[in-house]
Amino acid sequence: MFNKILIANRGEIAVRIIRACKELGVSTVAVYSDADRRSLHVALADEAYHIGGSAPGESYLVIDKILDVAKKSGAEAIHPGFGFLSENEEFAKRCEKAKIVFIGPSAKAIRLMGDKITARKIAHEAKVPLVPGSEGAVSDVEASVVVDEIGYPVMIKASAGGGGKGMRLVREKGEFESALRMARSEAGSAFGDDSVFVEKFVEQPRHIEIQIIADSYGNVIHLFERECSIQRRHQKVIEEAPSSAISDRTRKKMGAVAVKIAKAVDYQGAGTVEFIMDQKQNFFFLEMNTRVQVEHPVTEMITGFDIVKWMIRIADGEKLPFKQSQIEMKGHAVECRVYAEDPETNFMPSPGTIDYLRVPSGPGIRDDSSIYSGCEITPHYDPMLSKLVVWADTREAAIEKMASALREYIVIGLKTNIGFLLRVMGEEEFKEGKIDTGYIERHPELLKPGDIDIEPVLIAAALAMNNADSVESGEQRPASNWKLYGRKLGLSGGQVL
Amino acid sequence: MSYTLNYQGQAYKVEIEEDDKQISLEIDGKKVPVEFQKIEENLFSIIYEGKSITLGVVKKGHNLQIFLNGELYEIESVSERDKRKTSQIASGMQEIKSPMPSRVVKILTKQGDEVDVDEGVVVVEAMKMESELKSPIKGEVKDVFVNEGDAVEAGTVLLVVSSE
Repeated sequence: MFNKILIANRGEIAVRIIRACKELGVSTVAVYSDADRRSLHVALADEAYHIGGSAPGESYLVIDKILDVAKKSGAEAIHPGFGFLSENEEFAKRCEKAKIVFIGPSAKAIRLMGDKITARKIAHEAKVPLVPGSEGAVSDVEASVVVDEIGYPVMIKASAGGGGKGMRLVREKGEFESALRMARSEAGSAFGDDSVFVEKFVEQPRHIEIQIIADSYGNVIHLFERECSIQRRHQKVIEEAPSSAISDRTRKKMGAVAVKIAKAVDYQGAGTVEFIMDQKQNFFFLEMNTRVQVEHPVTEMITGFDIVKWMIRIADGEKLPFKQSQIEMKGHAVECRVYAEDPETNFMPSPGTIDYLRVPSGPGIRDDSSIYSGCEITPHYDPMLSKLVVWADTREAAIEKMASALREYIVIGLKTNIGFLLRVMGEEEFKEGKIDTGYIERHPELLKPGDIDIEPVLIAAALAMNNADSVESGEQRPASNWKLYGRKLGLSGGQVL
Repeated sequence: MSYTLNYQGQAYKVEIEEDDKQISLEIDGKKVPVEFQKIEENLFSIIYEGKSITLGVVKKGHNLQIFLNGELYEIESVSERDKRKTSQIASGMQEIKSPMPSRVVKILTKQGDEVDVDEGVVVVEAMKMESELKSPIKGEVKDVFVNEGDAVEAGTVLLVVSSE
């Protein structure tokens, strides 16, 4: 096993990796920017090095600085976490050159899967289902030929596109010609390029992904699926495993397809193959993420498999001791991403200082975070505060447990989405598993609190005003055990050490 | 002691007397029997009407942030002296402030424009995210203090809307 690993990341994932290293008896090296001197990953690591300014481009994204620290500290391997340099081909190459192990796949696998068109080609060659459509930009005549072949509804998309511009949904043949004309003119004026392509429109798509793990001896297994259909602005908010929407048959098929893709690029380490799935369980390849995923804990909860530790072991040359048939899943796990953001103003980020924090606990509750009372959430990084994960024997019980845990959560000092998450847990369609990527848009009522009982809040406010007066007059109370416990929770990022 | 507590534009009058053994509390003239323990500096336990309720409480001057069941409540405690002034601001002139350090991406209105309740007036960007700030009242845009592209601090007044 490695003696020392550098963690080229920050926040909760850096904390998660540091803990895994400690459990494996590996020393840890943290790096930090100006904004992160007081961050929990710095406090928990054995060594810590300052690498520059708060903007990621001045610190966490600077390959030279990170490799310098690796050399200076004698780290033998680097875990990139997610985001930042985790899917950067150049970084993987430079590590290789510097004879430092990059904990992840080869630079080549990162490159092949990082380019959407190449990834699609590889998937196509491996006979993995893709959303049917034209291969690239098409002329008007070609477009109508393709559409007649794949059938309606179809989506016309701008090749240079993004942000919904130049996009048209067409449900009937009669609408196609004018829709194509409008999409072209919109694309032309928005991007200066009027080329478009056509794709089958997947109705009410669900986001399903397969976790795979591969060692360096060609063994690849999958750890079943996660469903991540609850999204805002194409970003996941609530994830679960297993999906309530797929049969065992589909699960097996998806798993096999994901393994095939991994093998096609000689994949090594942990990776995720993402699919979209229609209401009839037809699934189509979306992309592969060549790193540990934010939502990896739900898979860990149902399989008992420590993904981060296995990434490290595999990078160290260990062989996977399990066969696919030995991997079993048990129960149901749900993850809620607690964000510093305001659902009432289109999920606007809400940086600030956490003045007070209390984290839920109890059997089957896991809070992966790096926050504590007094910590600052800066606008430089992602506003995710924590990942609250629960496990129970059924989906229904897991949702109840999540609701109960969310009710115990207290965060004061900035706005969070906890109330929103709580309302989703109580919403009928969610409870019945009737979810797809349009769920949040379909439920704007969840963005605002419903009927609230203001009375207890006013009582507490009056008591606080009155109490502060008595404190000001010199009255002191001794620190209670609850307070000490709360501090302990805060320092350990929510888990009692 | 008597306090006026403002929550989302609504004022509540609260009377509270506290001695070692007992609290007598009235909200808008209605007596509320309550038993209270401060568990830690920012964690309050109250028992009333047979319910046990635990709340997080942070006080900064006259502003209180209280957390209960996933929601953060921002309450302002107003003394009799300040009261008239505050209510005038709320209905007459409304300042649209930047909620965080951000960049002004687009100004959707100009001086003299009429705006509706919840109409977007400014788009700001922070943490790689654009957000639209809305006018809380119907009225006329009195003044715009920033330009597109400006970097602004949290709390910077971007424009003022008046309902008069």
